[in-house]
Amino acid sequence: MADAIRTEQLSKRYGVTLALDRLELTVAAGEVYGYLGPNGAGKTTTIRLLLGLHRPTRGRGQLFGVDAWEDPVIAHRRIAYVAGEPFLWPSLTSAETFELLARLRGGTDTSYRDLLVARFALDVNKKIRALSKGNRQKVQLVAALATRADLLLLDEPTSGLDPLMEAAFRECINEAKGRGQTVFLSSHILSEVEALCDRVGILRAGRLVDEGTLSELRHLSAQTVEVTFDGPAPQLPELPGVQVRGAGANALRFEVAGPVGPLLAALGDQRVATLSSREPSLEEIFLHHYDASDGRVGS
Amino acid sequence: MGASAVRPLAGRAFADARIRTIAFAYLFAAVAYVNPVAYRHTYPTRAERLAFAHSFGTNKAVVLFYGKAYDLLTAGGYTAWRSGGTLAIFAAIFGLLAAVRALRTEEDAGRAELVLAGIAGRGIAYVASLVAIAAGTAVLWLAELTGLLIAGLPVGPSAYLALATVSVVPVFAGVGALVSQLAPTRRVALELGGAVVAIAFVLRVVADTSSLGWLRWVTPLGWVEELRPFTGEQPLVLALMGGASVLLLSAAAKIFAWRDVGSGLLSARDDAAPRLSLLGSPTALALRTERASLAVWAGSVGVFALIIGVISKSISAAGISEQLQRELAKVGVSAITTPKGYVGFAFIFFVLAISIFVCTQVAAARHDEAAQRLETLLAEPVSRRGWLRGRLALAGAAAVAIALVAGLLTWAGAAFQGVRLPFGRMLVAGLNCLPVALLFLGVAALAYAVVPRASAGIAYGSVTLGFLWQLFGSLLGAPKWLVDATPFAHVGLVPAAAFRPGPAAIMTAIGLAAAVAAITLFERRDLLGA
Repeated sequence: MADAIRTEQLSKRYGVTLALDRLELTVAAGEVYGYLGPNGAGKTTTIRLLLGLHRPTRGRGQLFGVDAWEDPVIAHRRIAYVAGEPFLWPSLTSAETFELLARLRGGTDTSYRDLLVARFALDVNKKIRALSKGNRQKVQLVAALATRADLLLLDEPTSGLDPLMEAAFRECINEAKGRGQTVFLSSHILSEVEALCDRVGILRAGRLVDEGTLSELRHLSAQTVEVTFDGPAPQLPELPGVQVRGAGANALRFEVAGPVGPLLAALGDQRVATLSSREPSLEEIFLHHYDASDGRVGS
Repeated sequence: MGASAVRPLAGRAFADARIRTIAFAYLFAAVAYVNPVAYRHTYPTRAERLAFAHSFGTNKAVVLFYGKAYDLLTAGGYTAWRSGGTLAIFAAIFGLLAAVRALRTEEDAGRAELVLAGIAGRGIAYVASLVAIAAGTAVLWLAELTGLLIAGLPVGPSAYLALATVSVVPVFAGVGALVSQLAPTRRVALELGGAVVAIAFVLRVVADTSSLGWLRWVTPLGWVEELRPFTGEQPLVLALMGGASVLLLSAAAKIFAWRDVGSGLLSARDDAAPRLSLLGSPTALALRTERASLAVWAGSVGVFALIIGVISKSISAAGISEQLQRELAKVGVSAITTPKGYVGFAFIFFVLAISIFVCTQVAAARHDEAAQRLETLLAEPVSRRGWLRGRLALAGAAAVAIALVAGLLTWAGAAFQGVRLPFGRMLVAGLNCLPVALLFLGVAALAYAVVPRASAGIAYGSVTLGFLWQLFGSLLGAPKWLVDATPFAHVGLVPAAAFRPGPAAIMTAIGLAAAVAAITLFERRDLLGA
């Protein structure tokens, strides 16, 4: 079976801006893939290229083995798309929008759609022009999820949603995963990706700078050790791979890349009151990539 | 507070409108220049001018389009008649477009909210919009004056004529401001305002061509005639323009001050039971979203056709000298002296109207792309080729319907007055509008495929230029091949003249070829937001 998404050297240049630089991406069928990057990193460009809405400057992308630039109709039959901004027809109601999108693709799961409408608390007889951005986003989401398409391409789907709806969204994605659908989730909300995704790619200025499962990504990054002392924090000798950051009068925080042993040995003869260690959050991994390369994002 | 915001806001609005302002300024300068020059060229002697004045100035066919003539013995009087009447219509359109752009489009796009969230209150934002429109009006006045002066007309009366022409801008800016308060979207505002301009024009036509001359005092376009530039100025009439502008603009300001930003007074209900017709394909959807606009076009063309038919009864050859008829032949209005000839001549305006209509359809398609709804549509299993082909076919089919309405209702109007025009010929007269319209449809589609952001300007611009060249090119004594460079020159004006199958076939073929090229090229480019 073909991969849900596969790109080779996929690149896009707009005038002088290189928006996407030789992207090599593979998303297997059934996977939930988190596509992370700050604003302007090239996430939306990637999706537009995959959909064949924009033309690659070089390279190519395929959805289930079909190049959407060459053959959009066939490629789009197996996917559903949620755009970053809900661009719909202002004079149609939600119900009419659902009907339009369903007829265009030749069918949808209407009973699941009714369930989703209830879950997202949508009034389907309201015209799109009267809806808030969050509600328009819900219309898009319901229409896309109800298709039960093999691949869901979601471009920052939760922007504008309140926390309750965000929870409903996560429930839907887990259901989709349970049914074996593939989900490509572009986002800059790290907690969402952390909670939902099997694999994560980090995009920076048009290049994929890191990719892997969360545990793979964690191994590459430092873990954090926080120590409090009885009395003032001591002066410790320099240790390879350990960075010290002050965390108050009686406490120290360490970023440890590699084994923790040398740090524990050094702490052995100090008056340690508490010690906690934790793996880096996705946020820290993410910031690490931005910190290290150009210092644009500091913590 | 916030008065300091007037300057940057007005500057922004003026800069936003620059392309339209420049295009209109060129038009005003060109028409102002061409008329006196053409007049001296075509009627060099007093005898010729007398003959012309006796027949032409009272010819209803001509009065219909240019308005009432007061003095045709001088270049100034001729110019006031020929360009004043035409340019006043353009000035009205300019005022409408400028006001809707500043007061509704900004709100439609959500930018007004941003401005009003700043230090600028509604009053300040409104004043800034008016300042920008006033600046644009001044540019038009200057452009027309320049054209008149270069053509050798005296300064004082020229300045007054230019003032008379642009004096309707604030009135129709007032109309634009008011419909912007009423309509919930730019599209609806433009359609409402367009209907007002059309009514003002029809009232002037009726006033100038019937015994109901007093109607001239009802329409701002009639007031322009009553200002009588070059022919016994009546500057007091300007008070009417002033009064109407103040009334309309302050009414609009009042509404703007208390209504919710982002809505219009006429906002349709926001709840509706689902109507599931016309949702089955992109083309069906386009018909659904465009049908109101199609109805407005068909209705306006129909009303105008009816008037032409009714008026055609009063056309006769009496009083037109043979020499003058030869001159008229030169400008392509040879057989204007019979009802049939007159109707044929009038159909050149339907050719124009339907050409503009097809451009609005391509502009609507572009608007769908700019608003990024097209992205939502094309992410479904829908081919680009099929989408654009459907949009163009819809435009073509609607053009056929409007053309038939023109032929049918002209026939009906004439029949109502007892003038028997051959029914079949009148349907042909309607369909005869299509080759030029299809040509421009192809041109507009090609512009859309290649340079989407500039496409509306290119489409409307080429139609306007082609038409003006048809009106004025021959008067300038340009060589025949150059005069014939406009598609409008190749229409056999049925029923006055024979249908010309050759040019019709060639123009249709060019239009179709351009459309096919457009579909192919559109498939190869990126979708482009606003």
